[in-house]
Amino acid sequence: MITIKNGSKAYSNRVKILNDVNLDIDPGEFVSIVGQSGAGKTTLVKVLIGEERLDSGQVIVGDWDITKISKREVPYLRRQIGVIFQDFKLLPKKTLAENVAFALEVCGSSAAKINKIVPSVMKIVGLEDKKNRYPNEVSGGEKQRAAIARALVHQPKILLADEPTGNLDAINANEIIDLLLRINKFGTTVILVTHNKEIVNYLSRRVVTMDHGKIISDHEKGKYLL
Amino acid sequence: MLSLYRIIKFSLQDIGRNIWLSVATLIILLLALFSVNTLMTVRVISDNAAKAVQEKIDISLYIKPETPESEILALKAEISKSERVKSIVYISKEEALNDFREKYKNNQAVLAALKELGRNPLSPSLTIIPQDFSQANLLINELRVIDSKMIESRDFSDNAVVLNKINNISKRINEIGFFIILIFVLTSLLVVYNTVRVAIYTHRQEIEIMRLVGASNFFIYMPYIFSAFVYTLLSILIIIGIFYPFLTLLQPYLEVFFMGYNVNILSYFIDNFWLVFGGQFLVILAINAFASLFAVRRYAKV
Repeated sequence: MITIKNGSKAYSNRVKILNDVNLDIDPGEFVSIVGQSGAGKTTLVKVLIGEERLDSGQVIVGDWDITKISKREVPYLRRQIGVIFQDFKLLPKKTLAENVAFALEVCGSSAAKINKIVPSVMKIVGLEDKKNRYPNEVSGGEKQRAAIARALVHQPKILLADEPTGNLDAINANEIIDLLLRINKFGTTVILVTHNKEIVNYLSRRVVTMDHGKIISDHEKGKYLL
Repeated sequence: MLSLYRIIKFSLQDIGRNIWLSVATLIILLLALFSVNTLMTVRVISDNAAKAVQEKIDISLYIKPETPESEILALKAEISKSERVKSIVYISKEEALNDFREKYKNNQAVLAALKELGRNPLSPSLTIIPQDFSQANLLINELRVIDSKMIESRDFSDNAVVLNKINNISKRINEIGFFIILIFVLTSLLVVYNTVRVAIYTHRQEIEIMRLVGASNFFIYMPYIFSAFVYTLLSILIIIGIFYPFLTLLQPYLEVFFMGYNVNILSYFIDNFWLVFGGQFLVILAINAFASLFAVRRYAKV
């Protein structure tokens, strides 16, 4: 599903933020990528969504070599990878349903398709009764669920979650992780980037640990080691 | 068609949901347009005033009273052949006397003196209007060398001085006016450019999200370009709505101020409607669209 071969990336000539990274993720896996701040986790996410390019190495998503992806191709890549962030990235002037529909509208989907998909993803994340509320009218957990709903509208094979529980309390964080597990059960590959020890240990799934741009451990049913 | 509909929808939704920002942007555009149009009005008035004064200065040849009319008309025909002459009017002795009486109808002493004289003391004349007032001196030189015994008087020295002064003033007004308008236009364009950039800065999160959810460049840029079009169209329509009543109110004051001269600012703006407002529409649209493209591109690098 995802292959990174000898991936290296530096923001300046001195410090390599990714240093000879090799990673293979199979379809349907749930992988946690852990590490302290500056370990290179977020850069790895940016490389996978085409926001950053490797200085050397190769990145393959599905059958698509995105190592030297052109700017024109980036939107098509992003329609195949759902992404959620710590700060939700919802539009404050749009309702939750409009935020979700927005991802389809800007990609040129038909009204009929939008009317069919939006209610179904809102139901999956449990927000069907709050679809007409604005982001400032709901809790952090609900905002993140709306962000997950938006990430799901293109029915992606991969869902990238970059610190999705960073702004949430324990109860809401657990709800989001349960939702990600449910999505994974449907067959979607989930990559969770986090430094939340409790969540990683609770999941008991594959854990890839990064430090100073390198992968220092990769365990099938891992624990948070750092 | 669906894409166009959504672009218009996003744009109008954005204008409506950020109404205060939209109003502020519109007000800046209106202030810039009003300033430029006001300066243009001042320039047109000064230009018209200078022209009106120039046209009041005629060049007259006074003919000996006993000269037969046929000879005067022959001289008139000869002078009118010059390419520097726009028109030439023959004023007979009788017409000159009537004009004189009309001019001094409230001055009984002058009229009594005229009556006492018992005859028409005025000479017939030829009044010449130059084709180009800036070259009136050349015409005066031409008239000076006409060798005709019927000409009684051709002292143009006063006219030459006045024309020279007016030409200089008119030239200065044009130069200074153009310079001031240029500075004002550049300032206004910079203000408009920065206003649009600030407006788009507030949308940086939206642009970033559009990029992250896989929106194409077309969908990211076009709503802002359409908003630029809406702002430009609205500002031009409003400025027309404000400016024409303003000119209508101004016109009577101008007529009083320039009594006896033909200074019509309203008709200038009506005659040059498409040039003035069409030109302004295109310039503002271009600067708006350019600022939008530039600002969006900055935030779309995600």
